[in-house]
Amino acid sequence: MSTKQLGTHGWLVFLLGLLAFPAAAQSFRVQCPTSTITHPNAANNNSEPAYAGPTTLAPSASGYLTPTANVNGAIKCQQVGGGDGYASMADGTQTYMFSFGPLSGLKNIASGQAGTVFPSEFNTVIADPTTLVPGYPAGLASPAAAYNGAVGLVDSNVNYTFNLYDIFEGPQAALAVPAAASANTVTVILNAEVPFKVGEQIVIGQGPNGTDLNGYVGTYTVSKVGIANTVGLPASFVFQYLSSVTGLPEVLGSADATASSLPIVDGHVDARQIMDVGVMNGNIPAPLMAIDEDDEFFLTLTNVGMIMRPDLFEQHTIHFHGYPNASAYFDGVPDASVAINIGGSFTYYYLAPDAGTYFWHCHITPPEHLQMGMVGQLYVRPRQNRVASGNDLGTALKAQQGDLRTACQVSDVLCSNPMPAQADPASGASKVARAPSGSYAYNDGDGSTYYDVDVPLQMHGFDPNFHFVGMTFNNEGFADMKDKYFLLNGRSYPDTVTSGPLSTPSADGVNHYSQPISAIVSMKAGQRALLRISDLSVTEYHTLASLGIRMQVIGWNAKLLRDQAGNNMSYVTNSVTLAGGESADVILDSCLQRATPSDPSSQCLAAIPVGTYYLYTSNLDHLSNDAENFGGQMTEVHIN
Amino acid sequence: MFAMTINTAIPMQRLLTLGLAALFATAAHAAAPGITGPTFNLQASQAYITQPDGQAVYSWGYGCNGAPGGYAPAAIGGAFCNAMQLPGPTLIVTEGQTVTVNLTNNLPAVAGNTSMLFPGFNVTTSCAATVPAGAPGLLTCEAAPAATVSYSFVAATPGTHTYYSGTQGDLQVEMGLFGAIIVLPKAPVADAACTDTLAPAGNNATARSTWGEADFRLSTSAYDHPATCYDREYLFQFSEMDPAIHIAALAQVTAKAGCSAGAVGCSLEVPTEPYHPAYFMINGRSMPDDMDPNYAPMYPSQPYNGNPHMHPGEITLLRIIGQGRWQHPFHEHANHVRILARDGNLLLNAANTLAGPLMFTTTTTPGVAMDGLFYFTGRGLNWDMYGHNGASADANAKLPCTPDANGYNTGAPTAINYFEWCQDHDKPMQAAPFGDVPAGGPVTLPDPNIFKNGTWYGGSPYLGPDATTRATFGTCTGLNSTTACSTTGTTPPSGTVGNNPSKEAGFAFMWHSHNEREITTNNIFPGGMMMMMLVDSREFVIDESQ
Repeated sequence: MSTKQLGTHGWLVFLLGLLAFPAAAQSFRVQCPTSTITHPNAANNNSEPAYAGPTTLAPSASGYLTPTANVNGAIKCQQVGGGDGYASMADGTQTYMFSFGPLSGLKNIASGQAGTVFPSEFNTVIADPTTLVPGYPAGLASPAAAYNGAVGLVDSNVNYTFNLYDIFEGPQAALAVPAAASANTVTVILNAEVPFKVGEQIVIGQGPNGTDLNGYVGTYTVSKVGIANTVGLPASFVFQYLSSVTGLPEVLGSADATASSLPIVDGHVDARQIMDVGVMNGNIPAPLMAIDEDDEFFLTLTNVGMIMRPDLFEQHTIHFHGYPNASAYFDGVPDASVAINIGGSFTYYYLAPDAGTYFWHCHITPPEHLQMGMVGQLYVRPRQNRVASGNDLGTALKAQQGDLRTACQVSDVLCSNPMPAQADPASGASKVARAPSGSYAYNDGDGSTYYDVDVPLQMHGFDPNFHFVGMTFNNEGFADMKDKYFLLNGRSYPDTVTSGPLSTPSADGVNHYSQPISAIVSMKAGQRALLRISDLSVTEYHTLASLGIRMQVIGWNAKLLRDQAGNNMSYVTNSVTLAGGESADVILDSCLQRATPSDPSSQCLAAIPVGTYYLYTSNLDHLSNDAENFGGQMTEVHIN
Repeated sequence: MFAMTINTAIPMQRLLTLGLAALFATAAHAAAPGITGPTFNLQASQAYITQPDGQAVYSWGYGCNGAPGGYAPAAIGGAFCNAMQLPGPTLIVTEGQTVTVNLTNNLPAVAGNTSMLFPGFNVTTSCAATVPAGAPGLLTCEAAPAATVSYSFVAATPGTHTYYSGTQGDLQVEMGLFGAIIVLPKAPVADAACTDTLAPAGNNATARSTWGEADFRLSTSAYDHPATCYDREYLFQFSEMDPAIHIAALAQVTAKAGCSAGAVGCSLEVPTEPYHPAYFMINGRSMPDDMDPNYAPMYPSQPYNGNPHMHPGEITLLRIIGQGRWQHPFHEHANHVRILARDGNLLLNAANTLAGPLMFTTTTTPGVAMDGLFYFTGRGLNWDMYGHNGASADANAKLPCTPDANGYNTGAPTAINYFEWCQDHDKPMQAAPFGDVPAGGPVTLPDPNIFKNGTWYGGSPYLGPDATTRATFGTCTGLNSTTACSTTGTTPPSGTVGNNPSKEAGFAFMWHSHNEREITTNNIFPGGMMMMMLVDSREFVIDESQ
């Protein structure tokens, strides 16, 4: 049997497999609850509340602790697809990848932003699912108009609208409605069997011109279904709900009154949308994720299969690289947990860990899946960002000691942000206030990690031979893997300095956004840029050097550089060297002199000249794009 | 002399056989075993080491020349020290001792001289004072074939140190001539004085004795400093091998067997460049062999393993050495490592507290030794990892959690949930679990029909056999149903023989090189520089002896 025949056979098996999935109890699905134990009020979970102090907790009836005040953080959700795709190398080569692609937050991803969104956005059903075609949103005239919710999400309710025969409030002895019905119990009699269930939300509505239902119109929760009556209609035609007002008059035979079901968005998805958008939709870097401390993060991995490798029935996983106190179950190591098959979804759940620059990747056969491109970036932003403008940062850090989860105990050898002595509110030293704008990389208490813009920079390398072999048959050598494309955000110079997403035509002839994140560092003179650098190389160490602007290393491996006494251990250098599996936080400060030297957010009195500066690798053989001896890991810093 | 057993035909079968053998073996554990001095009679000699692809690789290593002074820790039985080991014997001494190493060169004559370097120590040797100094290019006193030299130094600084050949290092270190020295502090810090432990003094010892666990530590602290106390310790030496070099060395050793040392032509001409290592080892073994026990009889020349276990809250000392010539980024899943020291030099600030960085990837560099502290508690998971359920009939499902000043249940050293993070006590993770664990949590787990169980998967998301049994087999309220469940769970822990849910059900975390191509054995995945670290609930007894 030839290779081609094998391939065709595998393809059929794959298709048959797909056909079989709808019969399973669960296949594709997404999860994004609007409220949880930790974030009980759904209305507060679609934005980040200001940090006013530590969350206070008290035992609930169920025995566990629930928040009583200062509920910090919100809920964040994201869906990514595990599959394959193509990327464009700077020498014009199309490179095949095993890769993750965005299946939510597509608008954000297309604009180089994190695809992580709040439940209100994630749980929005697309108005016209027929627009979700292969390559979406690359084919749109304006990617900014793209859908940002979860691809595939559907209203899983059947939409019923019924005319009303009768509606009245309180007991109606004449209709034999039990006298026990309270004064605010509304009884509705339909002309057909009630399709609603107790607990379901329904809408009482009326046509544009009618007014007789005034007082009744609104959204209610069904409290009872099936009420015996003397109207002559079966009990199953009648339901009740509780209204907040009383004394409404009976309306019999209204011409245009209706009772309708509400959409239910509970994570059920239409697999067609997911396959249309998700297949061959791979990105390098994999979709960016960004969450805030105290957030609950629901990350759904949907395994759409690798279309170009139908012989592989590969699982994929997500490893949150560097998460402190990770759980084995959600750690993404297939050997230590479970791994989702093609046609299924796995939702990973974490409470956001300590702030820092983390990254994520597939942990299935890592030398293969990482080399092939299944690597992405992930940051956790500090609660210090959420301190109200003008408030003292040291006081806010002190407040974090009030919740043992966010505290930094002296005896804890793994805590990296003890209170700096001069920032302690008790010290009497001058304090640094929360800047009116901008952000902080860590809970520093002293403003030292302030930045105006942050830029993810993922260092990686592709071995084109391995990728070619990876596209054809599965017999790669690992020991002699030799990267020849050296990437920043999946791009080699000069693609690194192209703004906007790069797209690549896939085997289906359709353009897909393949490399959404530009590697340009752009800031105004006097500003500070935080480079969130991660190295995902599977073969060697990489050095990134800076020409003209010094690098201030403030964090390493997602931890603030600070010793146990609270001393600042950051350092200034012209280059950082990272191993595969490491990250660093580096500030490029374009200001030479500030009004308040101890506050890096203060006014810049003297900035470096406007112009173009460079970041490049001093591994000089990495300044190449395969056979081209100019390119590779280099990008520009634009001071404007 | 030695028959070459290059077994290329069936590497995969061999890998599988060994892999399964490892899985079915009793749980193997690690600690930091070695031999005690302060006088060590060592030799450099040749032997074959085995790799999980079935290869027997011709190598050189240091070994014992006669029985050593002793073995440590005493709780590990069956210790041996053969004539050749890779890595060489771990030399365990105490700060301030005068250490003497007598090295006999039992390498084939064609290999020429050999020697030992002890970076960080002031070494005097048996050579005349003029020999090393007067012989250009020599780093230290060398032993000619069949000859013996001695090295002596005061173990002035505690911590983890390396030793390796100072003669033709590109070949001799590649062939396996390296090892570790552990210097224990002269005045180890007593439990009550420790400042880095999260438990009240004596409670970890009480927990150990409650479950009948032995103490496998070499000391109580890594340094004479109260923030360096630890409950467990492991030594990891990273090295790589290019099989072509070993094959070439063997060919020349065989061809020139019996030649006279120093005679014309009695030398090796083995090219060590270009360098293409294909074996990536921790303590001389590749995964899964590294998870077999210390002193396992099938590895007579590779006695040390890499298979850490710990209970929640236990401070674990990692002793990490980069041997060989490459750098290897060692990624520890599950938490950061506080670097204590580099080459035995404690990193402190002016306030005498710890100043080393926190790293999730401890990057090894050739010749550099690091000490670091690690622990796992599960703090901040936001769900009860023990699956406590107040409504259960199981007493262990209803254990209390009383937070200490740090928020941990450290006042109950005899309980299964000693060191539980109390803020998440009883808090459910699953929206609608199958078994006897709390419901109403945030997540719905995937359908077991569409996932694959991992070999080290504990059988449930929860920690320990009690919780896992409840989560999978317990009497329960069914999913979307009010009827009682059957006794089979929705997450069948089949295929988890490496982490039997009825016995261990620990949280397994992979510790490995993040130069991911190095978690392969001669191009076969999985293998190489990889191991599983297990966090075990207290009711699972961690026995680091065989």
